[in-house]
Amino acid sequence: MRSISLFFRSVTKSLILVSFLAVAAVSSASAQDVAAGGAIFKQKCTACHAVGKVVVGPDLKGVTERREEAWLLKWIKNAPALIASGDPVAKEVEAFSPAAMSAFPELSDDDVKNILAYVKAEETKPAADPKAAGGASAEGGSGEISNFMIFGLIAVIIIAFIVIVVLNRVIRTLERVMLQKQGVLVEDDEVVPGDRLAGLKRLTKNKKFILFVVLLLVIFLGSAGWMGMWETGVHTGYQPVQPIKFSHQLHAGVNKIDCQYCHTGAFTSKNASIPSLNVCMNCHNYVTASDKYDGKTSPEIQKIYHALDYNETTKQYGNNTKPVEWIRIHNLPDLAYFNHSQHVSVAGIECQKCHGPIQTMEEVYQYSPLTMKWCVNCHKETEVNHKDNPYYDRLIAAHDKLKKGEKVTAAVLGGLECSKCHY
Amino acid sequence: MLVMNKVLIICTAFLTVATASVITSCSNNRSTGIEYARNMYDPIAYNPDQPNKNFKDGKTAQTPPAGTSPVGFDKNENYPNTPEGYQAASAGLSNPLPVTVPTLEQGKTLYLNMCSHCHGNEGKGDGSIVKMEKFPAPPSYSTGNSSRGGSMKDLTDGKIYHTITYGLNLMGPHKYQLTPEQRWKIVMYVHELQKLQ
Repeated sequence: MRSISLFFRSVTKSLILVSFLAVAAVSSASAQDVAAGGAIFKQKCTACHAVGKVVVGPDLKGVTERREEAWLLKWIKNAPALIASGDPVAKEVEAFSPAAMSAFPELSDDDVKNILAYVKAEETKPAADPKAAGGASAEGGSGEISNFMIFGLIAVIIIAFIVIVVLNRVIRTLERVMLQKQGVLVEDDEVVPGDRLAGLKRLTKNKKFILFVVLLLVIFLGSAGWMGMWETGVHTGYQPVQPIKFSHQLHAGVNKIDCQYCHTGAFTSKNASIPSLNVCMNCHNYVTASDKYDGKTSPEIQKIYHALDYNETTKQYGNNTKPVEWIRIHNLPDLAYFNHSQHVSVAGIECQKCHGPIQTMEEVYQYSPLTMKWCVNCHKETEVNHKDNPYYDRLIAAHDKLKKGEKVTAAVLGGLECSKCHY
Repeated sequence: MLVMNKVLIICTAFLTVATASVITSCSNNRSTGIEYARNMYDPIAYNPDQPNKNFKDGKTAQTPPAGTSPVGFDKNENYPNTPEGYQAASAGLSNPLPVTVPTLEQGKTLYLNMCSHCHGNEGKGDGSIVKMEKFPAPPSYSTGNSSRGGSMKDLTDGKIYHTITYGLNLMGPHKYQLTPEQRWKIVMYVHELQKLQ
């Protein structure tokens, strides 16, 4: 009996080993297929397809079960030909989107099988790590820190003051106890309340003390008033709560999207222009940040879809649109004229010169004071770049004419331009 | 007397600090703070981002009425956003700008600012956000194949212009961000990238 059980045990052991090796070999082989398929998929398919998501073409999740492999091989290699041959399944698939699936004659059967292996592997991939969502939701509260700190500071000061008073009392009683132990008779210096008031009365008659208090008050109120006046109408640090938590730190900092991509007007017009939502949709028709929100679209991106009345599943726009009411941060008084294109395109100044480290701001605040002094100081320092600028070429030409003693009329200096009079 | 003064001095100092901190806590970065003559800030004419009661939808920034076009923008829609329009653009459109070094340089700057995030600095479909795997890769201008047939390096003026204008597949329309002249400058630079190996 014993020998039989031993034999059985060794057989099962070897069987397990063999099957384990076989599984490992198969999985490593398929891993190679998956990697090769993934490379082709990313190169040729991702412009229109994704696994687990409708992009331009249908969602590829479960495609290997929906369709036969032989059909898929034909379809992927030459879809237009399959449609033309009148294949009923191909006709059905064609109706999915107005964009047609293109032919890929350069792919071999093995390539297509690798792609399908990759698609299958992607299906079974576990959903995004829910822990990642924690990072995204653990925001907010940074704005309250300053208030909290100030109240905390006040509380600490009050507590410290109470502690000092109490300790002083304790020290005094302890000293008295020590002196009593040493046999020294201590006279009772407890002050009667009436005496205290008398002391105060004496103080109010002390001219030196009154002067001291008045001086303190004048210094304190005067400096507070002075600072308040300097800060009137200066909005440095202004950071209103925006309707969508758009992070410049993510878009301009991490993703390195150029400022011009969204703020096209900064280079060509007076206004830097807040991008309209169609600019957002150039990326966010695909990017939904769902890996950070348990497979759901980020609530902030949903606000874009809501404002545009865009249906995520059908990818269609409705008519019930609403504008996103962004809050203007930089309020230059209307009495001052400022033109973005003159500064950005002509002078070639970087956006950060005035807007600060915008690529690090999770929430935008006003970096510069936008006061006249600030403008004037920069204009005093900045050198004019007159190279390749026809305006300055004409100016220099006019100066040369004057030097030569030639007649320079108003017309030469552009006096006949319509807008000189009709503006 | 001296003890009394000390206590008072401490009290005054404490009060000063407390009042100062209360006053500073009033200036909250969510508000613009004290403003004098607010009406000097508000424009008499409407800014594009302001609400406006004069229009039905309450916005100042209105879309141009049908059949009109702003100066310097698309004049007509002879080449609609369809595969036929794409082929028609290929046959009927050519770059109106002469190829010069300054124009090419402007095209390069525009390309780097507006296109390189996805298409890559050399147009190989390896832009910064593609490398971060945040957006799928577009085909390379020099070695890729177009999803509308043919190889990317054979794309004509009209086809590139049509694609920038209306977008294709995952690429969105860029006619709202780029004027026709800017688009032609980019087309000129993309032709240079097609020649790369």
